[in-house]
Amino acid sequence: MRPEFETFLARLYTDAPLRARFLAGPREEAERQGLTVEECAALERIDRVGLELSARSFAHKRTLKASRRARSWWKSVRAALGRPRH
Amino acid sequence: MAEAAVAAEVDVADAAVRDRFGLTWQPALAAGILANLDRIDVVEVIAEEQFGASSRATRALETLAHQVPLLVHGVALGPASTSPVDVRRLDRLARLVERLDPAFWSEHLACVRAGDIEIGHLAATPRTSATIDATAANLSRAAAIVGSMPMVENIATLMDPPASDRSEVEWVSSVMTASGCDLLLDLHNVHANSLNFDFDQVEYLDRLDPERIGAIHIAGGCWIESPDERRERRYLDDHLHDVPDPVYDLLVEVGARVRRPLTVLLERDGRFPPVRHLLWQLDRARAALAEGRRRVSNET
Repeated sequence: MRPEFETFLARLYTDAPLRARFLAGPREEAERQGLTVEECAALERIDRVGLELSARSFAHKRTLKASRRARSWWKSVRAALGRPRH
Repeated sequence: MAEAAVAAEVDVADAAVRDRFGLTWQPALAAGILANLDRIDVVEVIAEEQFGASSRATRALETLAHQVPLLVHGVALGPASTSPVDVRRLDRLARLVERLDPAFWSEHLACVRAGDIEIGHLAATPRTSATIDATAANLSRAAAIVGSMPMVENIATLMDPPASDRSEVEWVSSVMTASGCDLLLDLHNVHANSLNFDFDQVEYLDRLDPERIGAIHIAGGCWIESPDERRERRYLDDHLHDVPDPVYDLLVEVGARVRRPLTVLLERDGRFPPVRHLLWQLDRARAALAEGRRRVSNET
């Protein structure tokens, strides 16, 4: 497997407009991205329900992580502001 | 009783004595864990949650490490990738492992990023010989920097990765052979994948080398539906629900196959019930593993 294929899968998981274009025409979109004939054929047989549900699950995880990071940033700001000055 | 049978029974009894059961460290469970260390043999710490933790939180964990054996569990290294694992992440992991001195550390057989794209969680990589070699190379790099081999964990997936040319269990076994890493067998992930991709979960166990299974994860999940009109269902490993009965059944099967002592961890990441309910699930796990081990000694 080539890194380009792995990167395309990661983009399918994370880029909703790309995913919509891909699901409307898997082979066409894969060819447009410069993937090999074998890679295009594999993507044409992709588990479409699994792809959509995986993408949603990953998006949920990214949102959770971002909100955790924001909470931790706010906590450190509050700690810094609350620290007594000498 | 024949000498070999006696020896086997002693092996099984000895392993059962040394099996360990524990929970994943969560701030929401901290008080409950500390109050019940007589019923918790081991605590698993998520590595990435400790990167950037306050010095007070770090000192608290170091204190905990004096009271109960810790394990370090990574969730964001992503060794199952054709790209090399990030050395800066490995350096941080190495410092954490040095500080906490865990019984072992572990990581998932997953891809979490590709190119400059963060997927956000654990994605199944296409199961090919190329990804077996790349994963083994990444695990070897990780072991060199951290200073010890990780145990590797099978993941749950909602999608069979495209371009795969072999089954999940074949791929996992080949990675174990190529890397020399032992398996942290997540029984709920096996259960979830068996529901999603219609395979027999006991046959999955039969295709693993039992002597290479070193630890077990158990957890819970739920069914989710596709958003379109087909309403197709998949089973999600979410760590927010109780451990379902088929996972305990699988743990009995593990006990009947694995001779070495095992570390069994209950993973719960949210919607926390009272800690006594988690301890009850740990007790069920103890009983299930013991039942499997008894089955071996009865047969011999």
